[in-house]
Amino acid sequence: MRILLVEDDPMVGAAIRKGLQQDGHTLDWVREAMAAGAALASGTHELMLLDLGLPGKSGLDLLAELRRAGNALPVIICTARDAVAERVRGLDLGADDYLIKPFAFDELGARMRAVMRRRLGQPTNLLRHGSLTLDPASHEVCLNGTSVALSAREFAILQALMERPSAVLSRAQIEERLYGWDEEVASNAVEVHVHNLRRKLGDGLIRTVRGLGYSLGRDS
Amino acid sequence: MSLRYRLLIVLLVVAITTTLTATGLTYYWARHEIDELLDYQLRQQALALRDKAYLLGSVTVAEPDPEQHVVIQLWDRRGALRYLSHRAVDIARPVRYGYANVRGSGKDWRVYATELGPWIVQLAQPLQIRRSIAAKAAWRILLPTLAVLPLLAALMWWIVGRVLAPLTRLSKTIARRRSNALDPLPDSGLPAELALMVRALNALIARLKDVLNRQQDFMADAAHELRTPLTAISLQAQLLDRAGPGAEAGEALGDLKRGIARSTQLVEGLLTLARLDAVNERAQPATVDLSALVATAMAEAQALARTRRIALAGRIEAVVVVEGDAPQLRSLVDNLLYNALHYTPLGGQVWVELAPRRREICLSVRDNGPGIPGAERARIFDRFYRVPGTAAQGSGLGLAIVRRVAELQGASVEVSDAPGGGTLFTVLFSIDPGLAPAAGNAPGAASVQE
Repeated sequence: MRILLVEDDPMVGAAIRKGLQQDGHTLDWVREAMAAGAALASGTHELMLLDLGLPGKSGLDLLAELRRAGNALPVIICTARDAVAERVRGLDLGADDYLIKPFAFDELGARMRAVMRRRLGQPTNLLRHGSLTLDPASHEVCLNGTSVALSAREFAILQALMERPSAVLSRAQIEERLYGWDEEVASNAVEVHVHNLRRKLGDGLIRTVRGLGYSLGRDS
Repeated sequence: MSLRYRLLIVLLVVAITTTLTATGLTYYWARHEIDELLDYQLRQQALALRDKAYLLGSVTVAEPDPEQHVVIQLWDRRGALRYLSHRAVDIARPVRYGYANVRGSGKDWRVYATELGPWIVQLAQPLQIRRSIAAKAAWRILLPTLAVLPLLAALMWWIVGRVLAPLTRLSKTIARRRSNALDPLPDSGLPAELALMVRALNALIARLKDVLNRQQDFMADAAHELRTPLTAISLQAQLLDRAGPGAEAGEALGDLKRGIARSTQLVEGLLTLARLDAVNERAQPATVDLSALVATAMAEAQALARTRRIALAGRIEAVVVVEGDAPQLRSLVDNLLYNALHYTPLGGQVWVELAPRRREICLSVRDNGPGIPGAERARIFDRFYRVPGTAAQGSGLGLAIVRRVAELQGASVEVSDAPGGGTLFTVLFSIDPGLAPAAGNAPGAASVQE
C-alpha cells in the first residue's frame, strides 16, 4: 500500500517509515502540511498517516481542507495529543481513526487494515479469489491451501489486484503503488514481478489487458 | 450577622427614635395649646365672677368640691381674704393683675388675678392638670405606634428580604456552579450595586480562565513533547526487536540511544523549570565569580562544539562577580551556549563576551547562524516553542529556562540581530555597587580561544 506520512519529528518519522517499509508498504514522508497538500494533489496514495502538531498549518486544518475538497482518502491521525475533545474533533473532521502516540507497529498495521477493510466493505481481512487467499495481516498467500512465498513487491501487486477484482490496473498505477518518490523504477520492473507471480501461482491468474494493464483472470 | 438582621435592627431603631421624638414634640406643642386654652378659660371664669359679686358677703371658706379644680380667692382692698373656695389651699395674694405661675401648698399653680368691684379675685388652677392632658395627647400618638411596631418589624423583614432577593439568587447561582464552569455570571436585570459586583467577579473569572487555559495548553504541549521522544524510542525498540542481531540492529540501537538521550534531556529541562518555578524569590544570594563560571561552561561545551565543528570562543573579563545562585547561573549559561551551538550550522562560530559596563554586567552570546525572524523573537522564550523550520532537536525548554533564571536573578535577557548576521543574546545583570570592580578593561582580561 502506498502511504503518505505527515510527521514533523525526524526520529519518529524515520522509525515509522522503516517499520512500514519492512511491512511491505511504500511510504512517502513529508514534514509539514503544505508539502502534504502538494503530495495529495498527485492522488497516488491510498492512506494518510497524519500527525497533528505540525509546524505552520496544523494537521487538523489539512484534514479539513482535504475533506472540503471532496477527497475521501482514508486518514489515520497519529498524535501525542490525547484529549477527548481533540480526538472528537479529529474524527468529526473526517479522520477514519485516531491513534495516540506512543503506539506499537502491530497496532498501527491492524488499524490500517481495518480502515482499508471498511473502505472496501469487506467483513474480514482475508482476500479471496477462487482457490487463492491473501491475508494482509500475516502476509500469507495460499493457493489450494498451501502457502506460497512471495516477495514484498509481488505481494503488493497481488493485493492491489485482489482488492478490486474487477478493475484493470495500469502499469503506471501499479508502479505508483509500489515505489516511493525517491526510488528508481526499472522500466520493466512491473512486468518482471507479474511474470514471477504467474510462475508461482499459475498463468491464468493475472490477465493482461492490451493497452490498459492487468486484471485478475477468471476464477481458476 | 446577616444583612437582613442588620437592616431590620437599624430600621427599627430609626422607627422607634422617630416615634419617640414625635411623641416628645407632641407633648410640647400640646402643652402650649392647652396653656393658651386654659389660660383663656381661667380669665373668662374670673371675668364671669364679676357679675356674681352680689353673692359675696362675709369671709367664707368653702369646703372644696372634689370635682372643682379651680381655686377661687377674694381679697378686699385692705388685703383681707374674704373668700377661699378650697379650705386647705394657701396661695399668696397676687402682686399684680394678670397671669402668673406660683407655688403654694406644695403644688404649682397657674393663676389669673383681676379686680372685682371692691375686691381682688384670683383664680388658680393646678399645673398638673395641664401636664396630664398634654401627656395623654402624647400617649395617643405613642401607643398606636408601639402597637403597630411588630407589624412594622414584620413588614420591614419582608421588604428587606425582597430587596436582597437578587443577592440570594446570585449566591444560589454561584453555589450551584460546577467548579470548572468558568463562563461569566449573568449580569442583566441586577440592581446597579450587584451588577457592579458581578462585573468585578466576571473580570476575575476571565483572568482565572485565562490562567487555566494557559495551564491546559501547557499540559497538552508537555504531553505532546514528552510522548514524541517516547514514541521514537518505542518504535525504534520495536524495529530492533524485528531486526535481530546484525548491522541493522546496530543502527536501530543507535537511534534508540538518541531517543533516550532526547527524552532524558526533555525530562531534565522540565525538572529544572519545575524547580525554578518553585522558587519565588532570589535564592540565598552569594557572590559568584561569573568569569570563572562562564569559562568553565565554555570549556565543557567545547566537546559539543567540536562535534558540530563550531568555533566556540570569546572574551571574558577576569573576576566579574555578581550576587546570585551559582547553579542557576550555570544553567542559564549552559542553555545559552547549547542553544547557540545547536542552531548554528556546522562550521559556524559562537562568540561569548562577559564585561562589566558602567551600571551593569553584560554577558552576550553571538552566533553566525540563520538568525531569528523578528516575529518569532517574542515567542522563543516560551516553553516548547521552536522556530518553525528549525531542524535541530532541542527540548524547546532551554530559552524558557534562561528567561526564568534571569527573572530570578534580577537580570534581563534580550535577543537581537548580531552585526553581520546571526543571533545575539544579551543578559544584563544589574551591578551591586559594593561588588563592582573597576570599570573598563581590567588587566586580567582573558581571551578564551579554541
